Amino acid sequence: MNFTRQFLGILRVSLSGVTQRLGSVLTIIIGVACAVGVLVSMLAMGTGARREEMGDVHADGVVVTSIGARGVQSSIPKDQAATVRELPGIIKGSDGAPIVEFQSLVPIEARRRVTDTRVFFPLVGTTPSFTQYRPEIRITRGRTFQSGLHELIASNACARQFTGFEIGDRRSIRGIDWTIVGHFDQGRSQQCVIYTDVDTIMSAFVRNTYTLVTARLQSPSDYNAFSSAIAANPTLRLEVERESEALERSFKPLNGILNFASYFVGTIMAIGATLGAMNSLYAIVDTRRRELATLQAIGFGSGPVVASILCESLLLALPGALLGCVLAWALFSGLSVSPFGYNFQLEVTPALAILGVVWALGMGLLGGLLPALRAARVPVTTALRAT
Amino acid sequence: MKYLPLIWSGIWRKPGRTILIFLQVGVAFALFGVLQGLKTGVEQAVAAARADLLIVHSRLSYLAEPLPLGLLDRIKSVAGVKLVIPVDIFVANYQKPTQQLVVVALSPDEDWESAFTYTIAPEYLAAFRKTRTATLIRLEPAEKYGWKIGDHLPLKSATAQRNGSTDWAFDVMGTFSDSDIGGARDIILINLAYLDEARLAGKGTVQHFNVAVSDPKLAVTVADEIDGLFANSAHETKTESLRELAQLNLQSIGDLNFLIRAIVGAVLVALLFATATMMMQSLRERTPEFAIIKTLGFTDGAVFLIVLAEALALCIAAAAFGLALAALAFPFAARFVPGLSMPIVVVEVGLACAVLVALISAAVPAVMAARLQVVSALAQR
Repeated sequence: MNFTRQFLGILRVSLSGVTQRLGSVLTIIIGVACAVGVLVSMLAMGTGARREEMGDVHADGVVVTSIGARGVQSSIPKDQAATVRELPGIIKGSDGAPIVEFQSLVPIEARRRVTDTRVFFPLVGTTPSFTQYRPEIRITRGRTFQSGLHELIASNACARQFTGFEIGDRRSIRGIDWTIVGHFDQGRSQQCVIYTDVDTIMSAFVRNTYTLVTARLQSPSDYNAFSSAIAANPTLRLEVERESEALERSFKPLNGILNFASYFVGTIMAIGATLGAMNSLYAIVDTRRRELATLQAIGFGSGPVVASILCESLLLALPGALLGCVLAWALFSGLSVSPFGYNFQLEVTPALAILGVVWALGMGLLGGLLPALRAARVPVTTALRAT
Repeated sequence: MKYLPLIWSGIWRKPGRTILIFLQVGVAFALFGVLQGLKTGVEQAVAAARADLLIVHSRLSYLAEPLPLGLLDRIKSVAGVKLVIPVDIFVANYQKPTQQLVVVALSPDEDWESAFTYTIAPEYLAAFRKTRTATLIRLEPAEKYGWKIGDHLPLKSATAQRNGSTDWAFDVMGTFSDSDIGGARDIILINLAYLDEARLAGKGTVQHFNVAVSDPKLAVTVADEIDGLFANSAHETKTESLRELAQLNLQSIGDLNFLIRAIVGAVLVALLFATATMMMQSLRERTPEFAIIKTLGFTDGAVFLIVLAEALALCIAAAAFGLALAALAFPFAARFVPGLSMPIVVVEVGLACAVLVALISAAVPAVMAARLQVVSALAQR
């Protein structure tokens, strides 16, 4: 009881003196705010990218590629693709046919509206019934492509950011004119994708193999049966993985870079802010040396002194953390970035804000520890004699 | 000069505080150095990339779409083209699938190396041209895997030989270094003629052509003319200089420029606040001391300079320490952009920033110290 009363007493005195020590107090708050703000906005890239990549993942979706060749090097002969279509475990659509999508990927060049820089993203040749596999796709303007005609549909994200994807625009691919006939939304994803008919694009490129085959299973638990059916068939030189695994793998380099950068920068800034807080608290303790010594002389224990100074440090870090989170949210949340060829929006989530606050409390605790111990250790007589 | 001991003792008046401020400034400038170094390093690398070296590739993609070897003669016929070298590229692995190499197959025609960014000793060049199965290896993988000249290099690849085998073997005839930035690190060079004869599929096609132009000023015209030759054909081309390609490869970092600016800004603002507060605090504590040295005959100007000099010395030393740390940590932070080194201009800008931080944060305390009235300052005691 005694401890608590002493602790609260000292804390009240400390906090009432905040306005007199505005400089030191602001140093702590601003230092912590900057560190937390930077960490939270960097991590917001990671969560934004993650939401982007995993937002529309189909739990029962599988991706089939040729063995040892993931990504664009994969090539699946038409007869093998037809066999995959008849394998057990694939769910049937409303028309009674299995929900299977044959894809052929071709890179397509585009120019950014604002900067006129060039990027590549996939032109996906797909089966006309692909919306059964991807029900999240909604045509918002125009219509879908027709097989046999050289028609493309573009995601809205794409039409917004790049030139040449308005409805009616034409572009030459393989010496043939292709027309944009529709725009679509694709759930949460902001990726740039262009779809067209798979057979049309393959004949334009004189290809006779698909790049990959995707299928929806009856339930995610049918995965093992499906993959052993592929392994058991000697005519199929194919391998399968879950859609979530395939996505995870393709985003691994990006996630690696983002996480590394976030924690690298975040840690360095946190060290800086901790040092700043420590210095300010030393200064605060110094100016209050006589006051603290007086308290100890009249019978206050050193425990409450240490605890109250630590608590003051935490209480000063807290508004810093909140300020940092609010700044990160106000400045960066919802901002579109496209580093390393990916495209996503920064997202400041409550979980990130909590992480920021925890991080800040860590800075407050570490920064306050040494000054608090010093305050308690100064011999009373020396302190009272000090100026 | 006579002020030096005074400044020195002023700095070390409170060693704990000085060390903390030193570390804080150091950490801030370490971060500044790394981030600004990445940004400037990339910009410099792009600016330094050769604009007179053109790459002719399929209009559809830089890598995925092959071009027929037959385009070679038509490209050569364009005025201003000095040299055309066909290049094919495939991926192979050494011993295990994770140890990947980029195999660059090219025709070692007369003077071919002038159409590349490689630096190769003349004896290696001669040996490479003479032996069909020769390979030249970049220094980095040579060091990593301990390959020596004369070694027989067994590789596995998805590219099959005529007999269906996916095993390849080359004879190491020399090493080279590459000044290209942002490209693959583990590269080996082989003879295109050998590859084309030995492979099962894709005969007579290449990924791109390297074109050296006779006059760098002609590069843009030549590029347009080459693309014009193949417009609306089945093999439309896109010709760009190495600089444009570097820009494309590295623009991802450019997209993060705004974030780097924001972080550097936040770091400097936080730092300015911390140093300014500390200077004020230090001035308050030392008011009587300044009064005393003024009593001893130091002028207002001298006191002003002493306060500024203390701040400058501390900030510059700490910034130098931080930038040195940044230079040490740079390879670690820049591992996503192989070959990047920290530009010296970042150090200069960093030190200039340190001077600025010192001047701004010490300005008010210095003025206050200079204006100090001896009598009232001493009366405070």
